[in-house]
Amino acid sequence: MKSTRSRLSWSRIAAMALETLVWVGLATALVALLNPITTTAGLGSIYLLAVLAVAIRRGQVPALAAAVLGVLFLNFFFIEPLHRLTISDSDNVVAIGVLLVAALVVGRLAAQSRQRAAEAEQRAEQAAAREAEAAMLADAATAVLRGDADVVQGLSNSLRAAGAGELRLESSAAPQAREGERTLRLPTRARSVWLYAGESSEWTETDLERIASPLARLIDVAEERKATAARGAEAEAARQADAAKTVILHAVSHDLRSPLTAIRTAAAGLREEGTKPQDRIALIDAIDEEAERLTRLIANLLDLSRIEARAVHPRTDWCDLLDVISTAVSHVHNPDAHQRIQIELDGELPLVRADPAQLERVFSNLIENALRHSPPDQPVRVTGGAGAGKVVVRVIDRGPGVPVAQRDAIFKAFNTGDQRGGAGLGLAISRGFVEANGGELRLQADSPDGTAFAVSFPLVEQPATVG
Amino acid sequence: MSAGDVRVLVVDDEPQIVRGLKVILGNAGYRVEEATTKREALDAVSSRPPDAIVLDLLLPDGDGVEVATDIRRWSQVPIVVLSAVGDERQKVRALDAGADDYVTKPFGSEELLARMRAVLRRRADDGDAAVRVGELEIDRADRAVRRGDEQIHLTPIEFDLLSQLARHPGRLVTHRQLLEEVWGPGYEDQTHYLRVHFAHIRAKLEQNPSNPTYVITEPGIGYRLRVDL
Repeated sequence: MKSTRSRLSWSRIAAMALETLVWVGLATALVALLNPITTTAGLGSIYLLAVLAVAIRRGQVPALAAAVLGVLFLNFFFIEPLHRLTISDSDNVVAIGVLLVAALVVGRLAAQSRQRAAEAEQRAEQAAAREAEAAMLADAATAVLRGDADVVQGLSNSLRAAGAGELRLESSAAPQAREGERTLRLPTRARSVWLYAGESSEWTETDLERIASPLARLIDVAEERKATAARGAEAEAARQADAAKTVILHAVSHDLRSPLTAIRTAAAGLREEGTKPQDRIALIDAIDEEAERLTRLIANLLDLSRIEARAVHPRTDWCDLLDVISTAVSHVHNPDAHQRIQIELDGELPLVRADPAQLERVFSNLIENALRHSPPDQPVRVTGGAGAGKVVVRVIDRGPGVPVAQRDAIFKAFNTGDQRGGAGLGLAISRGFVEANGGELRLQADSPDGTAFAVSFPLVEQPATVG
Repeated sequence: MSAGDVRVLVVDDEPQIVRGLKVILGNAGYRVEEATTKREALDAVSSRPPDAIVLDLLLPDGDGVEVATDIRRWSQVPIVVLSAVGDERQKVRALDAGADDYVTKPFGSEELLARMRAVLRRRADDGDAAVRVGELEIDRADRAVRRGDEQIHLTPIEFDLLSQLARHPGRLVTHRQLLEEVWGPGYEDQTHYLRVHFAHIRAKLEQNPSNPTYVITEPGIGYRLRVDL
């Protein structure tokens, strides 16, 4: 990945020439030392060593120069006539000729091997660079598989972690390079992602182009994975909704069927000529009561559908809680139960902001729920007070209480834990209405008085009244 | 006017409901006529004005509220609307359009007949001496209220409010009507006045204010004085 381009500069040529001169000079010095004890022809081969050294270190052309220079030096300093570039002895001519050819061949061979070594080194360097790139891309791929929320950001981070700090990725419609950055668009399929390389980075255009393609594929894969996961979650949600719908339909059809059965049975009894007058009255009462049950169930289903569709739309007004609660009590369907309801509010409670009709539904449900779950000889108490920025009303029963495991579930519609209350809509509706009106409904399970459902609303500044 | 002379127009497109209403109202002595659409209803009201109308809010060719609005342009005939369960807004719209009262479907015959009696009852004139409800006597001439032998002291505003209900015993009086009558135009939205004053009225009037027997609250809509005691 590092730049391998080299340029033949004047300083390099000068260094080469100097080194050639040094080697040839060294050889000349050696020849001068050995000259007294050996023949001139043998001395020529010493220059061969210099040529070899230059060839290995500097390549073919300097080697040739060294050979020529060596021959000239040999001729000038050591061959008769001395200090002239002429040769008198034919033996020496042969020796110089052999030296020159040998120098050329050796130089060439040395230069070739030198070049191969350089090429091998370069290949090793490139291989190392590719390996680093591969490791970086592998890290990036791991980040993608980890499923980071933002794939591009995750990739960018893993590039930085892998030591390529001068690279960054960003997803945007148009490139937004910082100062000095080079920009490359990744060949992604869907999102438009840009690769930026910092000014000081050693990444070449070719390098960037090489890694652009795998990065783009990683991003595509990650996007595809995300889309697949989203489709899976959607399918799962749809499946769960289907299952919930089945449970609801089951509960509702059961609750619809039993009063309908009672009504049809009563109607059949009325049609019989032999039915006694007092039995007729009983059957008519049965029809009335069962129709009433159906009415309540349908009202509850309507309320619930409004709550679930977030279409509660409270008509907020000032509410007198005593008024709302006593209206709720008057709507309790079992008149015998009225005796059991004890309303104990602390003097005049402050007015609260809520939809009075919806609040009435809340307390109707809570009171009926409390009546249903407490023994017939036990009272249901409604207490209330204001303080700490809140107005709180508690509906308290002395029933068996709510098992710990059920304490969240009882507020869900159609929860199966509460079989006695039919489809179990009352608490879900109560909580839905209370919350839509800005209040809170909580179970206070371990109160010493019994099981309490506490409805609280913010204590607001009371309006001025005109007497 | 005896019940036999009272003609009630039932406007509803559901045959079973019309059939039931005919039996209930017929047994109570009313003469029942029927219309199944908005157009038929308006035609019937203009050609042979009935003494009272029972009006379903859901008609095949329109909204019962529009029927009430149209009729109120030229007639004060009492209108009781049949409204769907839980739809407070629709009730308020119908009442604002001029309907006199409502029953929520499905309703019992006693409830419907009580509403019919209330809307057909001749409006008590201001000169009428007293209205009696159970033990309660509201003497409009003396501006006095008694429960049995006991004198009950109400403030002038409290008396005015109770007196408004007593003018139409058994009949719904909406928040808007009460605020306009007692405080005057511009006070229609000051419903908290009603909350506070009715709480006081109840505290004075009722044996057990948490179980009121005289003044009935229709949550979010209005109040009525109970007559069937």
